[in-house]
Amino acid sequence: MGLVEADEVPSAAYCLKLARAHLESGAFEQACRWACAVVNAGDDFASWQAASAILRKSGANLALRAKVALLGSYTTAQFGPMLQLAAGRLGIRIDLYESEYGQYRQEVLDPASGMYQFAPDFVFLAVHEGDLQLDMYSATPDDDVARELARWTSLWDVITDRSSARILQPTFVQPTQAPMGHLGAKLLGSRYRMLQSLNTRLGDESGERVQLIDCERIASTIGRDRWFDPRYWHMSKQAVALPALPLLARHTASVIGASMGLTRKCLVLDLDNTLWGGVVGEDGFDGIRIGNGPEGEAFSAFQEYVLALKGQGVILAVASKNNLADAQEPFLKVPDMRLGLDDFAYFVASWEPKPNMVRRIAEGLNIGLDSLVFVDDNPAEREIIRRTLPEVDVVTMPTEPAHFPRALGNYLMFESTAFTPEDASRTAQYRARAEIAKVAETAETLDDFYLNLEMEALVAPFDQTNLPRIAQLIGKTNQFNVTTRRHDVAKLRQFMGDPNCLTLYLRLRDRFTDHGLVCVAIANRQADVLDIDTWLMSCRVIGRTVETEMLQHLCEYALANGCTTLRGTYVPTSKNGVVKDLFHNHGFVLDAEHEGETTWLYNITQNGSITNSFIKTIDADGHTP
Amino acid sequence: MTLHRRLEELFQNVLGDDDITLRDSTTAQDVEQWDSFAHINLMCAVEEEFNVVFPGNLFAEFADIGELKRYLETNASQPGSATRRD
Repeated sequence: MGLVEADEVPSAAYCLKLARAHLESGAFEQACRWACAVVNAGDDFASWQAASAILRKSGANLALRAKVALLGSYTTAQFGPMLQLAAGRLGIRIDLYESEYGQYRQEVLDPASGMYQFAPDFVFLAVHEGDLQLDMYSATPDDDVARELARWTSLWDVITDRSSARILQPTFVQPTQAPMGHLGAKLLGSRYRMLQSLNTRLGDESGERVQLIDCERIASTIGRDRWFDPRYWHMSKQAVALPALPLLARHTASVIGASMGLTRKCLVLDLDNTLWGGVVGEDGFDGIRIGNGPEGEAFSAFQEYVLALKGQGVILAVASKNNLADAQEPFLKVPDMRLGLDDFAYFVASWEPKPNMVRRIAEGLNIGLDSLVFVDDNPAEREIIRRTLPEVDVVTMPTEPAHFPRALGNYLMFESTAFTPEDASRTAQYRARAEIAKVAETAETLDDFYLNLEMEALVAPFDQTNLPRIAQLIGKTNQFNVTTRRHDVAKLRQFMGDPNCLTLYLRLRDRFTDHGLVCVAIANRQADVLDIDTWLMSCRVIGRTVETEMLQHLCEYALANGCTTLRGTYVPTSKNGVVKDLFHNHGFVLDAEHEGETTWLYNITQNGSITNSFIKTIDADGHTP
Repeated sequence: MTLHRRLEELFQNVLGDDDITLRDSTTAQDVEQWDSFAHINLMCAVEEEFNVVFPGNLFAEFADIGELKRYLETNASQPGSATRRD
């Protein structure tokens, strides 16, 4: 590798090159560090993907750890690694648990769900506005919002009762299209207003147990059109467009970091050309630009932003290369200054190197260097701080002062959760009590949930019309697929023509959506055994008892055709672990095991047919047969 | 960097494997990691890198890498993404 002259913030490509080189030479710690450095280089999706893979391979040996469960109404497979990378940049290794897409309620309501077994520190409800049950217009908006609010708060309650996890709840992002147009902003009953009000109410109810991730705000910073790309939704149920995931990951990581106490406490500011235009030692206090003219107004705006941070509890300090008297004069004599000497907890003005000043500030305030954030217009000073005091966060400032507030606003580690140590311990006691008394039932059970979905299934043999979709599922399904046999269309036609072969597809719809053709089975009659050759299901309907419904139909067919036993085969792959216990869970008995492949038997005459009461079987006309 | 090399580097990044080499005749079947999950990631990455938007199901319909390259040669704009700053 040639010597590349790095920018102040190394480019993603440069970080990736170094990370890979370190990984190959076995320097895992360095590989991890450079992979995480990609976060500083921008929000480029492909680079983040590459970096997150390197981070994983490096073992992500980081100082802090957190277990995070992602429970999604949309696909979170891409988001998980992005979150790991963004948290890695903060020194946190995240171990992930991901629900299947659309499974968040089941995971929360089922006390034996994988999520509770995982015992997460944080539960991120990756949910989006499309999942809300709000009409375009309601005559009773208050009731509708209250009902929707209760749906979320009751999930929070269940999680809080059953685990000690903290909950991360996104606010809901308004879609860009508004059928009611501007009128929607006036009418309390418009979906637009109901969604606004729901977001507000979520904030009201969140309390100490829930942190909001304000997606509505961060989506607006890049534009809602870029936040949600319908193509990705239709293709793979991505409710946050892939290019927006790094942004969401950085913000989520910062809230997780803040919850873990990583909030930075102190902002260390330069003076000349940072808090005002010009150099006070040369221009004099009456020659600096502050308050008037475009440049002066820009610096005033920045001072106001700094003041607002102070209002949030950030400690301010000054590190300036100046004579002390010169440095303080503007604060005393220039009326347009927004900041006063009283606003600073520590003030260093001297001619010593900046790293010495920064160290003095940390010692003087009795806080760690890792609590400091350094802001200076001079890239050379920023560079020397980065090199000599790596614990200090350095904000890369733009050359245009008008953009200073935005640059500092884009720095996320002043995020705080309003947790005082007392609050935190009170919460801990509350949680301990809650865990002892947790036997109490929750309002909604999983059975209620299934019944409320009002699911209906159409089950029928393969036909010409549905063959392309069936072939597609057989060719592409990796997760819920017991044998992963990739039969081509010619082979499928052969099955369809074989009188000893049963082919079934299943279409599912519920109260909210028509899921389409989502499940396929092929079974062969071998004397009194019905042998399941292929059985697979789209991952979007995992956790809805569709698999049981399919077994019910296999049993019915078996009995009608003189078979007494179902035989299932599980062929493990790197991706189909989700069906490892599928046969066992439905009462099949292990028959044989050979090189990881298992066969299972279910005796229908002895055990009775497998039935599913949560899904109603319908025929092609929508009637119960 | 040639378009072919840009594409190859992008695939290596997204699929997390530096040993991936692309030929014009390469299809999804030839690359182990190129499954339906990776497919959408690749689509997004190519769109960002080449500043294109694939209409409809077009990205899934390219017969091979050669066809994708021909499309990009006609439709892509200049590189501008953060990955190419060196």
